[in-house]
Amino acid sequence: MKRRDFIKSSLALSILGTQIPLMALGKTQQTIRRRTGTWDSDRILVLIKMDGGNDGLNSVIPVYDSLYHQARPTLAFDENEALMVTEDSGFHPQMAPFVPIFQNGEMGIIHGVGYPQSNLSHFRSSDIWVTGSPANEIWSSGWLGRLFNNEYPNFPNGAPEHPIAIQFGSANLLEFQSEQTNFATMLFDPEIMYAIVNENYVPGSNDPPPETYGGDELNFVRELDLTTLEYSEEIYNAGQNGNLTVEYPNNNLGDQLAVTAKLISGGLTTPVYRLHIRGFDNHAGQDNAHPQRLNQMSTAISAFLQDLKNQGLDDRVLTVTTSEFGRRVEENGSSGTDHGTSGPIFTFGSTTIGDVFGSQPSLSNLDNNGNLLAEHDFRQVYSTLIEDWFGLDPSISQFVFQDTFDPIPFVSDPLSVTGSPAVPEAFALFPAFPNPFNPATNIRFELPIAAKTSVRIFDIKGREVRTHQLGKLNVGKHDFVLDGRDLSSGVYHIQVETAGSVQSQRVTLLK
Amino acid sequence: MAKSITRRDFLTKHRRKADHISLTKKDWPTARVAKLYRKYMEDKPAPYYPPKKDYTPVPITPSRKQASVDWNDAAAAHLLRRTLFAPTFPEIISTGLDSMENTVDTILADQDQPDPPGDWITEPPPQWDAMTEEEIMELIETYFQRQFELIGWWMNRMAIQPMSIVEDMTLFWHEHFATSFEGVFYPQAMYEQNAVFREHCMGNFRELLRRVSFGPAMMIWLNTNANTVNHPNENFGRELLELFTIGVDNYTQTDVEEAARAFTGYGTNGVETNYNYDQATGFGNHWLSHHDFGQKTFLGQTGDFDGDDIIDIILQQDQTANFICEKIYKWFVYEVPDDTIVDEMATIFRDNNYEIMPVMEHLFTSDHFYDENFRGCMIRNPLTVTQGVFRQLDIGEENIPINYLIDLQYFMGMIPNMPPDVNGWTGYRSWLNSITLPMRKLFASALVDGINPFGGNFDFEPDVIALAQTLSDSNDAEALVQDMAKLFFPLPISDELEEQLLDALLEGAAVYDWDINDPGAPLRLRNLIKYILRKPEFQLI
Repeated sequence: MKRRDFIKSSLALSILGTQIPLMALGKTQQTIRRRTGTWDSDRILVLIKMDGGNDGLNSVIPVYDSLYHQARPTLAFDENEALMVTEDSGFHPQMAPFVPIFQNGEMGIIHGVGYPQSNLSHFRSSDIWVTGSPANEIWSSGWLGRLFNNEYPNFPNGAPEHPIAIQFGSANLLEFQSEQTNFATMLFDPEIMYAIVNENYVPGSNDPPPETYGGDELNFVRELDLTTLEYSEEIYNAGQNGNLTVEYPNNNLGDQLAVTAKLISGGLTTPVYRLHIRGFDNHAGQDNAHPQRLNQMSTAISAFLQDLKNQGLDDRVLTVTTSEFGRRVEENGSSGTDHGTSGPIFTFGSTTIGDVFGSQPSLSNLDNNGNLLAEHDFRQVYSTLIEDWFGLDPSISQFVFQDTFDPIPFVSDPLSVTGSPAVPEAFALFPAFPNPFNPATNIRFELPIAAKTSVRIFDIKGREVRTHQLGKLNVGKHDFVLDGRDLSSGVYHIQVETAGSVQSQRVTLLK
Repeated sequence: MAKSITRRDFLTKHRRKADHISLTKKDWPTARVAKLYRKYMEDKPAPYYPPKKDYTPVPITPSRKQASVDWNDAAAAHLLRRTLFAPTFPEIISTGLDSMENTVDTILADQDQPDPPGDWITEPPPQWDAMTEEEIMELIETYFQRQFELIGWWMNRMAIQPMSIVEDMTLFWHEHFATSFEGVFYPQAMYEQNAVFREHCMGNFRELLRRVSFGPAMMIWLNTNANTVNHPNENFGRELLELFTIGVDNYTQTDVEEAARAFTGYGTNGVETNYNYDQATGFGNHWLSHHDFGQKTFLGQTGDFDGDDIIDIILQQDQTANFICEKIYKWFVYEVPDDTIVDEMATIFRDNNYEIMPVMEHLFTSDHFYDENFRGCMIRNPLTVTQGVFRQLDIGEENIPINYLIDLQYFMGMIPNMPPDVNGWTGYRSWLNSITLPMRKLFASALVDGINPFGGNFDFEPDVIALAQTLSDSNDAEALVQDMAKLFFPLPISDELEEQLLDALLEGAAVYDWDINDPGAPLRLRNLIKYILRKPEFQLI
């Protein structure tokens, strides 16, 4: 960030920490590429929301299921109309561009993604998907907001040069909301954005805003004003450097994907994009609207994948669709479908495993409202993205969702070991945070094997001032909080000992 | 540096083809017309819609203490900013000198209905089946133009409003019962709903709810006219409970279905409905053949309910008044509702048989509303930006470039009668992001220069001297910037900001050099106003 002091925060320190594994224990060579909780991969996630609730049953169609045909007298497709891609399922005819992609193994289908006690309101269900909350809890921050907050706790101080996330149009901002801030930059066209922002920027005031709600809002506008100025430059530069190698279809999603490709091609390192395509809430006239939507979506995504491939960027990008819910099994009287529960998620790219995960939902075993039961939880998909795609520690996705969700193996080259629990390579001690500290600091270490562990504190003269026996600890990361309230100011050595290995580091207590 | 960009390209390039096909109805008004209408709408640009949900505001901090009302021009300006699209300087000063009670009375007073946008508002629907395809296309085009005539007419009302809450309250109810013309098709129906908002916006909520529910626009928008005993459609029943009255999680899916059954059998031809407001019932063959006359159990009560019964039962629920008052609180006070105040308002609402006026009167005369904490704690919505500035610059209805302003709203995100969906606009911080904030600044500064940012000039030039002359002493540079700040900023300005404003006006000249009659004065004033309108402080009310 050029116009802001870059604070040497935990972020900078922990990057150093990961590059210096302090000591390796005897461990057989294994391709463990898990990063140690810090975001240092160059991988990019493109999320596409199908707004309104996509009809999964008419996307990946169970053509041989007689219950499907009974429930959909006017809307059903048979095996001759659908584009058969597996033994029991065919794509909607307007999804033709996806057929070769699926056959090439570059499209994954995750069946029955939803959550328990599904909510049939668009707004609640969308919120559940973007916050990652259980259905009966209202969370005020988004899953990506919490994920980024874990990485950039002092944002916008310590923010990366490039936007952390880019959103197009009317996607739901709650997804990138943390308790403190919002990590997304809204965008439609890099050049226009740059010109308008720069021509109209008025240098800010340094006078502190009043300590009132009005002052809070003034702070918000000032922050947005400055961040917009800074990021518009980075986005503009990437847009100038980027290329497109294919023609994108002239529709809204096509435009969004073209800009996305251009920015990735131009070197923008933003790791998450959120795009959206409207119009899937087809209570009436679904036979007209749904095919158009699927056509727009499949032509736009297939152009995007081809473009990335032409530019050699395909191994860095994973594209994933989401939708707030599926539709009711039974069609209504207006050739439409009402709100439902679960539906399929699609994953795209050479980065995904081109397979079908799970099976066509049962149409006989429905909930009380005649809706499908979910086979996968959407948080399983998101946890997989956090752990396997971005290579972050499972403890992070656990923190994000306040629960553990089993990953689904749809990432073709996971940055972590597939199968859990992952075993760390070496005993590692991470830099204490904060440091210098007062009165307490957190000391994080990682064990490759379960072992008895102790933490000893020495003063500058080498006198042992404390010993903490932690007992036998499990494999993985652990945090020890050093409470310095009864210590005097000065430098201390912290020594963590486990299974015959010792790691140490200095911390400074400043009272 | 950026390449030079022709903003006309910008406009054409970025107003894409429509993405709102799904808002149109399959068989409305007939299957044949609907097909042509969809095709027509596909070529229309899609507006930008701000995000559905937004920032969670800072939680109420208990240490922030309450103040009692100290009525002065700052308190008056606060009330006027929250109830008008934007106040003028003389309005701020004169109401500050008057009493709070008189000012609130003036703001809340009834207003006459304005002249309608055209004679077409009662035009009956044509015999579609007797028309050729060309005739249909021609009428679709006419209807579409009328929809925008209506939008422009409405936006003009905002820019030339008297000192009254009616325009803001009309917009409030539109946001609450968010209906889009794209689905409704008939401009007559959209006008009818707007007139209902105007007439009942400060009246009785039960009557307002009936008029809206059984009006042609809502019947079309949420499929009541397709809701029949054999093919019930839950759309209206669900939103009635979730968005219009009780709020999510206070009813069951069964209640939604039962409400949908009670609302079967109502119908409209796009202009008239089969609902009789006096007899509170539908009539005619459509009603007899499509209404579900069976027993329904809704929110614990059982009977052969129709739509009016459902509305009555909903209004027996205490939660309804709380839901509505919370929404009023969020629109007029702050994004985080104060439960105690909302409860107070809801009690008044119920005790007064759902009359809206006493609730508003209570709110606008409360200590709470005038608490310093709430000054400037709301983000201007896009219409208060454009229409408010026009009102403050007093450009006159005949000079308002209304089509340009509608175009601007395509980017800022608030075209009236085109909400993103039935949930309306989220508001608050969602209005501002890295697109809309720069667009607001571009709009305001270009307007002061009389330049259309999409190319060309306007037919008028804002009279900044006249604006300055409405202030207390336009010939005193310090008084002038202080008054300008009072006019455009809701928060008191710091010494540093006052210095910046003086710099923007004087560009280094001494304060005593300022002379409003100097030939260079208009340019300097424009610089000052442009500077003000681009400051973050301007985005707050």
